[in-house]
Amino acid sequence: MTAALSPTPPAEACASCAIYHAANLRKLGVDVEGADFVVALAGNPNVGKSTVFNALTGLRQHTGNWPGKTVTRAEGGFAYGDRRYKIVDLPGTYSLLATSVDEQVARDFILFGRPDVTVVVVDASTLERNLNLVLQVFEITDRVVVCLNLMDEARRRGIEVDVRRLARDLGVPVVPTAARYGRGIQDLLAAVHEVATGATVCRPRRIEREPPELKAAIAAVTEQVRALHPDLPNARWVALRLLDGDERIAEALRRGDLADLARPTAAAAATHEIPLREEPNRP
Amino acid sequence: MNDHPANPALPRRAAGASPAAAAADAVLATAQALREQIGGEFHDRLAETIYGEAGRLADRAVTRPGAARRFDLDRAVDRIVTSRTWGFPLMIAIFALVFWVTIVGANVPSAMIASLLIDTLHPMLHRGADAVGLPWWLSGFLLDGVYLATAWVISVMLPPMAIFFPFFTLLEDLGYLPRMAFNLDNLFQKSGAHGKQALTMMMGYGCNAAGVVATRIIDSPRERLIAIITNNFSLCNGRWPTQILIASLFVGGVASPAVASVVSAGAVVGVALLGVLFTFGVSWALSRTVLKGEVSTFSLELPPYRPPRILQTLYTSLIDRTLYVLWRAVVWAAPAGAVIWLVANVHVGGLSIAERAIGALDPLGWVIGLNGVILVAYIIAIPANEIVIPTVLMLTALSVRSVAGMGAGPGVMFEADGAQVLAMLRAGGWTLLTGINLMLFSLLHNPCSTTIHTIYRETGSARWTAVATFLPLSLAFVVCAATAAAWRWLGLG
Amino acid sequence: MIQSVLSRLTGRPSSARVEREDALRHLQLMLAGGHDPTVQSVAGALGVAPDRAAAVLADLERRECVVFQAGRVTLTPTGQAYATHIIRAHRLWEQHLAQSSGVPPEQWHAHADRAEHRLSPDDVAALTERLGNPTHDPHGDPIPPPHGAVVPHHGMPLDELPVDQTARVTHVEDEPAMVFAELVMLGLYPGAIVRVVERGPHALGLWVDGEHVTLTPLMVHNVSVAPLAAPPAPAPVRLSALPIGRSATVAGLSPACRGTERRRLLDLGFVPGTVITAEMVSPSGDPTAYAVRGALIALRRTQARHVLIQPAPPEAEATS
Repeated sequence: MTAALSPTPPAEACASCAIYHAANLRKLGVDVEGADFVVALAGNPNVGKSTVFNALTGLRQHTGNWPGKTVTRAEGGFAYGDRRYKIVDLPGTYSLLATSVDEQVARDFILFGRPDVTVVVVDASTLERNLNLVLQVFEITDRVVVCLNLMDEARRRGIEVDVRRLARDLGVPVVPTAARYGRGIQDLLAAVHEVATGATVCRPRRIEREPPELKAAIAAVTEQVRALHPDLPNARWVALRLLDGDERIAEALRRGDLADLARPTAAAAATHEIPLREEPNRP
Repeated sequence: MNDHPANPALPRRAAGASPAAAAADAVLATAQALREQIGGEFHDRLAETIYGEAGRLADRAVTRPGAARRFDLDRAVDRIVTSRTWGFPLMIAIFALVFWVTIVGANVPSAMIASLLIDTLHPMLHRGADAVGLPWWLSGFLLDGVYLATAWVISVMLPPMAIFFPFFTLLEDLGYLPRMAFNLDNLFQKSGAHGKQALTMMMGYGCNAAGVVATRIIDSPRERLIAIITNNFSLCNGRWPTQILIASLFVGGVASPAVASVVSAGAVVGVALLGVLFTFGVSWALSRTVLKGEVSTFSLELPPYRPPRILQTLYTSLIDRTLYVLWRAVVWAAPAGAVIWLVANVHVGGLSIAERAIGALDPLGWVIGLNGVILVAYIIAIPANEIVIPTVLMLTALSVRSVAGMGAGPGVMFEADGAQVLAMLRAGGWTLLTGINLMLFSLLHNPCSTTIHTIYRETGSARWTAVATFLPLSLAFVVCAATAAAWRWLGLG
Repeated sequence: MIQSVLSRLTGRPSSARVEREDALRHLQLMLAGGHDPTVQSVAGALGVAPDRAAAVLADLERRECVVFQAGRVTLTPTGQAYATHIIRAHRLWEQHLAQSSGVPPEQWHAHADRAEHRLSPDDVAALTERLGNPTHDPHGDPIPPPHGAVVPHHGMPLDELPVDQTARVTHVEDEPAMVFAELVMLGLYPGAIVRVVERGPHALGLWVDGEHVTLTPLMVHNVSVAPLAAPPAPAPVRLSALPIGRSATVAGLSPACRGTERRRLLDLGFVPGTVITAEMVSPSGDPTAYAVRGALIALRRTQARHVLIQPAPPEAEATS
């Protein structure tokens, strides 16, 4: 993930240095002053992301039991060991494929901000729905920690999760927590620290069961993209976007300028107001 | 921005500018060809694949030895709170209970705080001021203006908020709010509004500015604007104390003492329900006139019930909501107190500015069933609704001083006891109609300055901000005038 | 589409630019359909006298958008790009209206006729992205790529479909609006699965997504289909018909459900194979809550109609 997204990449040393990385984050409006690592917090709506955020940072962002409560991005910090971390709470999303502004913000942050670790908070009691997002995050980044939250609620509902098996299947650390009661937060910190410092290397599971024609199409385009830009870390993701007809990615490829994607596009898309109404009484 | 001339300065690109671009074009051509071959279903099929994979992984990791016992309890509760018979009565009952507990519970601490800050501390401060030889106008300005207004805000607002907010936060934590949205959705749908407006409306009951920000969960700009404009009809914490105080003094005062608190709570619930009706009505009118269009799609997740953590709730609702709101009120109350004292003590041609303003606004006040004092108070309280009641009381004290020999000086307000307040307001010409119309006016009038600013930030449009400000205000005038006219026509007062 | 071009432009303020753009659009569509545009056809499309049409064409020639060759009118590359932009804007706007506005279907075309002159290329690009890069407009006409060619939709007229042959609807003509509105009401949209049951002189009996409807010849004339080799297994039913307390397996989403709405439903877990249970109805009558993959999701009836289900045997009652 430290390789650059550019056809003429900066020297490897440059791309992996903290300043280069910090510049990317600054473009996305994150103040990285004094932080050694940046952690993104993603997850479905209403899985206790804000609670995990509060538990990690000691802040008291208001929490509530309804989906979509967090409408603004929150940032906080914590220290673990001798490292300082900056943590960004992304809006809750069900997926990274769809096209709402929230999902773009979350996706672009993981893609272009290139956080050192992405923590995906999942609801242990509705795991299959939540793993969907985890698998999509895997398409973009390797450095993922899954926070299996609401373990208390799952237990209350008579649901048991085999954490070790899940971790083995996913190929990334899985930490069970009950953030409301502060349980498991220390383990989560430790896991984040290990992934951030490289002590743990993630080998996330890739989706391999696409229908044959889809698989063939993805393979063909990925192959060509990789041939064109051998140093692109997530060629497969670019291929998926091209097959989905993402004009912005196509245009960047055409310009030979994939690195230029590393601008806060969600913000740009949000500020580019399309006149949605016929009558001139739009806000 | 609607007039982009789409002239021939069109997407054009240099063909075959470089070998790299040609290679890129080849990749794009492949992608486009494959895309057409697969059809428009690439996204859907990919999503299905990912879901299948997620399901398989979950199946491997999850076992259910406890077989959904608790799940059924959730469903049983859901069946009751969303049942045809009990759904709506339960909603009303829950809110009525919360208001009743607030009204009953706030009385005693309110009186205690008032007696401490106003009856005890205020004279002590005056004696201290005399002792160090402060001139009368400085001690009047500081103690009778700034200090008294602040003390009033604290004693009137702190107890009800400290009771109401934890209850509201409990409901929010429990997961009841989405059920209310579920129950109400059809009505929102019929009014042309978005189902999630129920949620933003609920947030508005805490603070309209927060409610306006929360409308970001609504994707469609049309429906979001409706939600923003109508959020004002959710009584916010700055207005709850007004409603509760006036309801207990005037409406509760009419009933026999045994049921007074229940009747007052009923009146507050009634006004809140009226607010909901206005939300539907105005949404309906907007979606059929300036914000035409049909209802966009809607899906709402009903989260499982979660047992609330009492201590955490108390803490967050006290710190995040109660103290925050109180602090804001105090910040505005201090200068407002100063303004009140000044307008009451600066005389122009024998009459104070306040008396002149009240006199000038009295005729308009009469027409809408209020009075000049209330209107002047609303003008002074534009920055924050929280200080309306203290301002009204201080100005009333000023205007009835000469009549009933009450009060302690121009713009000075001492009375803390409910009966005395009522007596003073009556002496100031207040009737049951004034009380009811004040409740209506407080429900309907324009949002506070913070909310207006938030609306501007969220919509980025001065026009819509103006609509969101003046539409409720004119509605308030019309409704109050109609009520007053009907009241007088019926010969009630 | 051609026919729609002819009858558009009534009651709209006419400006030189609007006329130019409408003429370009007409030329592009005629050429793409293999027809030769003439001054008369342009005049008809614009609803103006031939003199005026000739003036518009001369203006376009001066702007290097069209050339006259041997008495035939053709588009220059600039003119083609311009015309493609207009068509693209029109069809994308219709798609936008279909996906996210709630404007009734019979008004889409009229709205898009105005919007196409208003949208800049940047607007169109942003719109494409927001809509998730659709390939077809809601009537089944392909949306041309920004630098690509305009191609007509393909499919055979419904008139020619043999009895009992299953087919997929590929195109529903949007003009006249009245006929289109009726077709929409009967559930005919691109992607719907149909089968001709009986063919009378004045009516056509048709199965549409598990419902029986009757079409008049005028309506039949406006629908194009593509025959399917094998009919899909047992006809799916709409989720809105599932009684409370019963479970069913999701068969898929109706093609009428597009864009953001479709993606949202997929995100929520309404994917084929998922078992869902109708749990409860709102006391106000409309949204119904369904248990889907361990979560409780409320959908309005209009949306539940878009989810197609296979009714499950009773033993599949277990939900989460």
